[in-house]
Amino acid sequence: MTSPVLAATGLVKRFGGFTANDGVDIAVGAGEVRGIIGPNGAGKTTLVNMITGVERPNAGEILLGGAPIGGLAPDAIAARGLVRSFQVARVFGDMSLVENLLVPYLARRGRLAEGEARARDLIGRANLARLADAPAKTLSGGQRVLLQVAAGFMCPQLSVYVLDEPFAGVNPVIKDTILDLIATERRERNVTFVVVSHEMDIMRRLCDRITVMVEGRVLLEGTLEEVASDPRVVAAYLGKPLR
Amino acid sequence: MFSAELFTQSLIAGIVIGIIYALMALGITFIYSIVKMINWAMGEFYMLGSFVQYFLVVGLLGPDLWWVAALLSAAAVFLVGWLIEPVLIKPMFTGGIERRDDYATVVTIALLLLMRNLATALNGPYQRSPGTNLGTVMLGPLPESGARLAAALCALAAMVLFWVLLKKTWLGLALRASSQSRVGVQIAGVDILRLDQVAFGIGVGLAGVAGALLAPVFLVFPTNGVVTTTKGFEIIVIGGLGSIPGAVVAGILLGVAESLGAAFISSPYQNAYGFVLLLAVLLIKPSGLFGERMRHA
Amino acid sequence: MRSTRHPAWIGALALAAFGTAGAPAHAQEPITIGLIVPLSPPGDPTGGQLIRRGAELAVEYYNQKGGVLGRPLQLSVQDSQGRPEGGVAAYRRVVGEDKAIAVTGFFHSSVNIAVNELAKNMGVPTMSTQASAAEITSKRYPVAFRTHAIDPLRVAAWLDFMAQKGFKRVSIVAETSDFGIGLTEETQKQVKDKKLAIELQTISFDRSSTDLTPQLLQVKAYKPDLVVNIGVGQPMDLIIDQATTLGILPTTPMLVSYDAPARPQFWQLHPNNGNGIYFIAYYSPKEKLSELGEWLAKTYQAKYNEAPVYGSLNGFGDIAIIAQAATQAKSTDPKAMVAALEGGSFESWPDAKVTFPKADGPYWHNWAPPVLILHFTKPNQDWKEAEVVIEYGK
Repeated sequence: MTSPVLAATGLVKRFGGFTANDGVDIAVGAGEVRGIIGPNGAGKTTLVNMITGVERPNAGEILLGGAPIGGLAPDAIAARGLVRSFQVARVFGDMSLVENLLVPYLARRGRLAEGEARARDLIGRANLARLADAPAKTLSGGQRVLLQVAAGFMCPQLSVYVLDEPFAGVNPVIKDTILDLIATERRERNVTFVVVSHEMDIMRRLCDRITVMVEGRVLLEGTLEEVASDPRVVAAYLGKPLR
Repeated sequence: MFSAELFTQSLIAGIVIGIIYALMALGITFIYSIVKMINWAMGEFYMLGSFVQYFLVVGLLGPDLWWVAALLSAAAVFLVGWLIEPVLIKPMFTGGIERRDDYATVVTIALLLLMRNLATALNGPYQRSPGTNLGTVMLGPLPESGARLAAALCALAAMVLFWVLLKKTWLGLALRASSQSRVGVQIAGVDILRLDQVAFGIGVGLAGVAGALLAPVFLVFPTNGVVTTTKGFEIIVIGGLGSIPGAVVAGILLGVAESLGAAFISSPYQNAYGFVLLLAVLLIKPSGLFGERMRHA
Repeated sequence: MRSTRHPAWIGALALAAFGTAGAPAHAQEPITIGLIVPLSPPGDPTGGQLIRRGAELAVEYYNQKGGVLGRPLQLSVQDSQGRPEGGVAAYRRVVGEDKAIAVTGFFHSSVNIAVNELAKNMGVPTMSTQASAAEITSKRYPVAFRTHAIDPLRVAAWLDFMAQKGFKRVSIVAETSDFGIGLTEETQKQVKDKKLAIELQTISFDRSSTDLTPQLLQVKAYKPDLVVNIGVGQPMDLIIDQATTLGILPTTPMLVSYDAPARPQFWQLHPNNGNGIYFIAYYSPKEKLSELGEWLAKTYQAKYNEAPVYGSLNGFGDIAIIAQAATQAKSTDPKAMVAALEGGSFESWPDAKVTFPKADGPYWHNWAPPVLILHFTKPNQDWKEAEVVIEYGK
């Protein structure tokens, strides 16, 4: 691939005696949608945390657009255009949906009127318009995930969006809305996506390539068909066939 | 002996002092909600505000410009807090400290002792007052000292300004968001460490303003912050830690409870009524009137 | 001595080494006197710091003259915080660790009372500088001494004052410390015993109260002829200011129960409502000071740029008395100290001999300065020019 927009080499993360990531390499091209799958405990979220600045790597390098970001604070990384969503949706419960979306926008010193217009547009596209001014804590779990995903799109300089389990426990309507948002942003702004998920049919529809992680390392990469039929991957999932 | 006039007078007196207590409590609860720590040295920042006010009024501006001095004192205390935070508090988040609450307690108590002893050494055995030209004002049937009333009104104004800051400005949005999720707000691109610095400065600035406004009422001396700190923490428990409306409502309730209790039940136990109120609230709602059960996000 | 091979300084060094080796080690060891004073809340730090100033100057005075029993004098200053537990811990420390020969200071009565219970067993004498509750000496402990006016004297003085002025309805507003409660009860007792035609209203408040409006509204409703202000430190000032706001002052006379109005800061704090206040003082401005007293007044003025107030004078005096007791006893042993204090006669700051007789009741081991009631007749008046209304106990 031409110069990857996101590249990590040799990432290591230890928690006390336990090694969560043991030399992980990954390279994602601009405009790609990369999926990351693997059994529980494979180190997927740790990898995501290191890339997005929530954890500090013990070793290894991370480059965003060619510039090193390893060890930077999350807000510095977000400033450089790498945004993430959390498995447990981090929304600001006592603030309205519009206010929630304004936070990432105004962090870059945007203008309030523009930001509000953009937020309402995004809320509309997420089919949450009638709740735009309600406090976020009144949203259902699935709606919170949707809001959180939408919040990332408010970031004006967004170039890479890392989504950690955005489909977990979410109803099909919301899943489709998220997929629509991803598709639109990909088309209009050429945003690169990295998606961690267990939902195999969605990954089949959504991702260009899949990276499989097992026990803190990258096992292999390829299309979903290629990795799904690899015996090692099957074995890693404890012999359960992938649908 | 009950009389309607005594009741009204005590009620008004209680509300006036309650508003002032609320300002202290607001500072404590605000710092807690953003920086997730209790600043035990709040009383010393109150004391600092009162000393700055004293020197500005006596040395430079004169008692009639007390309100200008109060604004400057607030700014000065904000600045001191803003400068101290990266040295003392920031390591809690960046220094790999494991027991954060213990660290915050130790560090702020050390700061308390340092400030208090420094002030005692420099000040000597004197109590000072910037003096006031504000005479007595009648609030209904109650004659109230002009300075105390001015302090309460300015405290209200400060609370309103604070509310406007939180609800209507970008900084306020970031502050509110960070109080709900520190990680979330970082992911959104906000530099949480600089926000902490500003929040700490604002919190202690509120205590400093209280000290400046009350300088002619409670006087200026190294240990004048002690009582207001105690009241501040009582209020936090009653109103709920991290809740701003809680601080205001509980502050007024405390002032009224103490005043009415002292007038009608028994005056030497004035400070006990606040604690009775505290116990009553805790029995009914352990997290405080407006408090929420703690979630660590 | 001619030095041949060895340089002269080795000889000097040897001489010095032999010289000091011969003398007993403890001759150079300082004598420690414990000073337990309030230096932080809830105690009154002003009271404590003023006593400390006087005590430090006394140490300077004696050390200038070669110390006591050939040894330098030093203070072990401890902060009681105005709390009995603080005082007790401090006494243990100065007697147990610092080997103090006597312990003085004591501003808050509750601290002194608690410490004396411990002193009774540990044997090192205590001397109250400014704590006035009767209990401090009325239990007749051999170790308990005092150089301050006890409450019965203070109360007798102000009852005289009320009689002189014809005050019949009196409001007492007292803090709930041993000082406040003691004075209130003593007043009630003496009014009854002496069958005086005085009606009393007694109101009490917690020292840490920030608003005495509820209490003062009751005073106002009572319409007294006199208000007795028994607050110490900030409460005293709060009463004066809030009484002014409520209109009680200046029309109703107010008596402050101790000598705080004599302090330089009084007029700074009460420029508009300090005139007309009556207050207790412990020496007459017209009284002569002793040689010791004159030394103190001069040195204090030079160092602090103001005249010494009673707390400093008495702090100075107590150290001086203890130093003289040790000299007279020719020993620092606790029993010898107690005996010397009981039997001796000492010089302090006033021009009068100080003795500690084994008298009745609270007068046990007590030397009291006279109790005066002074009256400010002009704003910004120096307390030495104030009108002397009562002079009791001379």
